[in-house]
Amino acid sequence: MNVIEIKNLTKRYGNARGIEDISFHVEEGEIFGFIGPNGAGKSTTLRTLLSIIFPTSGSATIFGKDVIKHGPEIKKQIGYLPSEVFYYDKMKVKDLLNYSASFYKKDCRKRIHELAEIMDLNLNKRIEDLSYGNRKKVGIVQGMLHEPKLIILDEPTGGLDPLMQQKFFDLLKEENKKGATILFSSHILSEVQKMCDRVAIIKEGELITVEKISTLQENNHKKIKIETKQPVDAGWFAVDGVTNIESDGHKISFLYSGNINIIMKKLAEMELSNLWVDEPDLEEIFLHYYEKEEGSK
Amino acid sequence: MNIFWRELKYSRKSMIWWCVGILFMVVSGMSKYGTMKSSGQSANEIFGAMPKSLQAIFGLSSLDLSTVMGFYGMLFSYLVLMATIHAVMLGANMVAKEERDKTSEFLMAKPVSRIRIITSKLAASLVLLVIFNLVTYAFSTAMVKHYESTADTGEIWKFMAGLLLLQVLFLAIGMVIAAITKHPKRATSLAAGILLAAYILSIVIELNDKLDALKYITPFKYFEAKNLLSDSGVDAVLVTLAAVICAACLSAAFVFYKKRDLKS
Repeated sequence: MNVIEIKNLTKRYGNARGIEDISFHVEEGEIFGFIGPNGAGKSTTLRTLLSIIFPTSGSATIFGKDVIKHGPEIKKQIGYLPSEVFYYDKMKVKDLLNYSASFYKKDCRKRIHELAEIMDLNLNKRIEDLSYGNRKKVGIVQGMLHEPKLIILDEPTGGLDPLMQQKFFDLLKEENKKGATILFSSHILSEVQKMCDRVAIIKEGELITVEKISTLQENNHKKIKIETKQPVDAGWFAVDGVTNIESDGHKISFLYSGNINIIMKKLAEMELSNLWVDEPDLEEIFLHYYEKEEGSK
Repeated sequence: MNIFWRELKYSRKSMIWWCVGILFMVVSGMSKYGTMKSSGQSANEIFGAMPKSLQAIFGLSSLDLSTVMGFYGMLFSYLVLMATIHAVMLGANMVAKEERDKTSEFLMAKPVSRIRIITSKLAASLVLLVIFNLVTYAFSTAMVKHYESTADTGEIWKFMAGLLLLQVLFLAIGMVIAAITKHPKRATSLAAGILLAAYILSIVIELNDKLDALKYITPFKYFEAKNLLSDSGVDAVLVTLAAVICAACLSAAFVFYKKRDLKS
């Protein structure tokens, strides 16, 4: 079953760019990454899902129900963490969390304390006295205290130190195991790579691709680096599938996509002193997608 | 109900300060009546010697200032100004503050409809207006009785009924302005500006008889002390007009708030 289904979603702000004809779906139980640079339209898409803003055209459903018509009903099962966390400054953390819990018809007190414990959050402080990272923690607890079936996170790790990030990711994985679906937007690829099953890549308001993380890494590219005794002309590697050649005579590195046997034969003909074959990280693949887009224009 | 209670709690402090303001206004205003009464001077003579424009600004045309209720009628026009400033700012604030304070993303992610949000805010605002009104009634009655123990304070109810209608009317105007404007930070000052324009217009009409037809435009002409005190009472057309404007503003506020893109 698809928890989220987005169909041809378009949002324009006058002449300013919003999002253009976005379509993808998120399946039940998966952790779905939504990546792109700042200003690509990630928040616009998420805000449309929560009917904070309304689409110019297109539609979206969550749990099979239209997000505008059935907004209040579907939000019972959604937990949302906005990218910038702002709350009623005069409130204490626990008052805010209780206020948040009062919107759901269930007793959330136990869960609030559990989450505050995990995230190391002081419940008795005033929100206005909190640092950026601690506000983010309030946001995390606030978004998860009602044990939602769908967790939507917009740039969730900003302001959290690496230790907290790890605790937070563990928490998310635990929720995911219990059955929660997670939609995770980010411009930091390594965290998406760590967490997600599939990703949608968005750029300048348009969806570039939706892929399995594993497909992105496996099928497409190998990062190969060799060291030779004799200087080698970089032109020797001018075969199909080789890109990003960098050479300083003895050391050559490049990206390769295609039949692995062809490149192995090429390499076997050489006198090598060293060889490295790596999976490129998502960052490099991402750049590759960008270049391809630029090139096709 | 949670939004309703939160709004009331949030407004507690400012409401206390407004009450102090009302107390100050009523006590200082009525104490002038006490001074005049004890010095044996006729207030009518003092104010009658003023140019008509000043009389209009003081809001005392055709009031008998030698009676305590006539004098209170003069004070009433200031209480009206105060109460309507409170109401119009309250209305604009209630609608605009979630966006201004960037809490709309928090609230909109909760399982509540926008209609329920604005209904709760309207309900909380009405409670605050009634509190404002009752406090004004209590202080007014006490001070009038203090200077003339035999005065018929039953008349004050009429003043308060008119005041409440004006309060609700300006609350609705404040709400619709905030619901329509794309700049939540400016909503309150815009609402206050419109109120000020209406007030100035009411003085201009007072100064110039030829402009009497304009009284339908500015709510400050709907419930004036001189009409509330006279036997003829207030114009039924104006009461109806007030109710219609109020209903129109409130429904427009609901419609626009339901459809708008919320800033965050």
